[in-house]
Amino acid sequence: MKLITHNMLTSKCLKGVVTGYPLAISATNIKVTEVDFNPDFIVRIIPKIDWEVFWKAADSIGHSDGLPQTVESKLHDNNDFLKKVHRVLLEVEIDEGHLTCPESGRQFPITKGIPNMLLTEAENKFAMLLKSANDLYHEVFAPMPRQI
Amino acid sequence: MNADAKRIVRKCRRFAVRLKEHKNVECIDEPTIEIVLCNVGQATGFTKTELQDIILEKLPNVNLSKYIAEKGESHSFAIFGSIEHSKLFFDTYNGKATQNGIIIYMSYVTKVPSDETIYITDLPSELHILHDFISIEEEIQFLKLFDWVDECNLKNRNVKHYGFEFRYGTNDVDLKAPLENKIPEECSILWERLKEKGLIVNIPDQLTVNKYEPGQGIPSHVDKHSPFGNTIISLSLGSTIVMDWRHHSGSYIPIVVPRRSMLIMQGEARYDWQHGIQPRTWDPVIQERTENGARVRVATSDTVERATRVSLTFRETRQGPCECRYETLCDSRTSETDVAAQLEELHVHQVYEKIACHFSKTRHKPWPKVVEFMSQVQPGSVVLDLGAGNGKNILNRSDIIQIAGERSEGLLWECLGHVRDIPTAQCVRLDLLHAGLRALCADVVICVAVVHHFCSQKRRQQAIATIARVLRSGGKALVTVWAKDQTNSNYICRSGHSDQTVTTVGGLNLPVHENRTQFKHNDVLVPWKCRKVANEKLGDDEGTFLRYYHVFEEGELDSLCESEGLAVDRSFYEEGNWCVICTKP
Repeated sequence: MKLITHNMLTSKCLKGVVTGYPLAISATNIKVTEVDFNPDFIVRIIPKIDWEVFWKAADSIGHSDGLPQTVESKLHDNNDFLKKVHRVLLEVEIDEGHLTCPESGRQFPITKGIPNMLLTEAENKFAMLLKSANDLYHEVFAPMPRQI
Repeated sequence: MNADAKRIVRKCRRFAVRLKEHKNVECIDEPTIEIVLCNVGQATGFTKTELQDIILEKLPNVNLSKYIAEKGESHSFAIFGSIEHSKLFFDTYNGKATQNGIIIYMSYVTKVPSDETIYITDLPSELHILHDFISIEEEIQFLKLFDWVDECNLKNRNVKHYGFEFRYGTNDVDLKAPLENKIPEECSILWERLKEKGLIVNIPDQLTVNKYEPGQGIPSHVDKHSPFGNTIISLSLGSTIVMDWRHHSGSYIPIVVPRRSMLIMQGEARYDWQHGIQPRTWDPVIQERTENGARVRVATSDTVERATRVSLTFRETRQGPCECRYETLCDSRTSETDVAAQLEELHVHQVYEKIACHFSKTRHKPWPKVVEFMSQVQPGSVVLDLGAGNGKNILNRSDIIQIAGERSEGLLWECLGHVRDIPTAQCVRLDLLHAGLRALCADVVICVAVVHHFCSQKRRQQAIATIARVLRSGGKALVTVWAKDQTNSNYICRSGHSDQTVTTVGGLNLPVHENRTQFKHNDVLVPWKCRKVANEKLGDDEGTFLRYYHVFEEGELDSLCESEGLAVDRSFYEEGNWCVICTKP
């Protein structure tokens, strides 16, 4: 999953979640693959991106170095800037990890670079029911230490 | 007593007074198996491992059975297997410095705090667990009868069916397809024994055998109401486990299900509670006690290891809607939507998973009309291909962003192989009805041969609504669906005669379409035949799968798009498909 994709994903599809955006990234494996640089393409894509979310996502996986927190149009002629965007947008890829809904804490796994945004049948049907069961699970079992 | 020993005794006395006054801990001189460590605990960062290391250094034969360190306290408790051991520990270490230079002061106690969780919830009504229902010899016989060597066919456990196959996904059985393997004769002693104990049950006709290795579990669930009768019984072999029971009111109770026991669930326990098993290699030891006059269950901090467990779950199949009094989890009280979802699960999602590889091999070229439409897409556009299948419509262009959204895991892997080399293309696993995509993110959406797989008008409309939602203002979409009228298509090569139907989920009767003939109905099951060469991995299904289609009338897709606020630019018929190009105003 490249950050361009992360920029478009939300967990609003979950019942009871209001915005579900942006999703937090936990990466266990990040790949960087070289991709041909096309400055015209980057200039065209920048306005399509939610920049603040993009910057924070890059920062959260340790790739915000040299990337400005806000974007100004004068930067469009700055080749170094465009190269940096190109790198973070298209070359950096989260191969394994998960995305976390900012409201419910529900996790969406990323496997072989593919985020899985599918909900379970139960999440569509018994959203509330499962929530209470999950809470109980954490209350009851999470703090229990494993005895030797 | 030398001066040093006197100093230690004095220190200990001082700690004892403080512990009694502030912490209600009674220190005594008489040795017991329980020792309070007066000046180390959770708050000082003292851990069980540290204590074990200290013991190991000078007393390698002394066993520490428990270490209790309460949160925020600077004292803790060590519990030993015998007084001999506790005395050795006390005499060796009281007032002595540890490796870190801390001098530990200690005293014997008679009481240690609880590290237990108490559950006061009553057992689910009409849940019975009959201990030692079968003998050890009988357990061996049953394990021999049902244990098998087989590759894992479910994600977390091994499973085998008798009488009727349990269909995962829809969680029911196909009554028209009984299995050759009936419930083995050897099980008859179980019904007879239940009868002797005064529990009359109808003789079951469906058996699911599950094998759980330590670490495996089963998510919390209710056995689906309508396909099965009021009584479900389950025999446990090989290992004792703790089963979690949850009521939708929030009640929770862990229940020990011993090996060789028979579990009988009826009424409330069967219909209104969910049960499951944690995926762990161990279980907490659960004790039953009376506290303040009430029976309680206590999950102690002691644990027991699990062994391999085989459970035999017997059910009685039935027809028609469920007649229980418990609405919350009842599938017969659920709406039309759920039948549609189940139909799609069985006749769309599961089929595509099974045929993904073969399907992909027969579909590799992008459709010419899609290529034509995509050639108009401006550089720098964000394109979503919703229901991308194997990604055949993802073009080799690096001047646009293409995101392939697909529900089927099998197809998505095919898709990944295809888009891997396109640096601006990405795959996402998603469902068109609950798509995790933010609004207004796309310049272009293509949705090719997808919407005809949704089983109700409402769901087809919901699919179009997703397209309308993700498009930005001025964004364009291409949507195609299968047409009922196949007159001008290459698909027709003969006239049909068959009137075959199939009864499927929800008792629904659907016509099975005869391939390469004109459609007679709008809602049909279309057979997919996997040729032998491609289906090495297919087993018993003879390579034919029924896919659900809603074939569209002329204008039907146009109205769907318009009802979701999309403006239809162009609508045309192409090779047996209705196609719409529309714009979001």
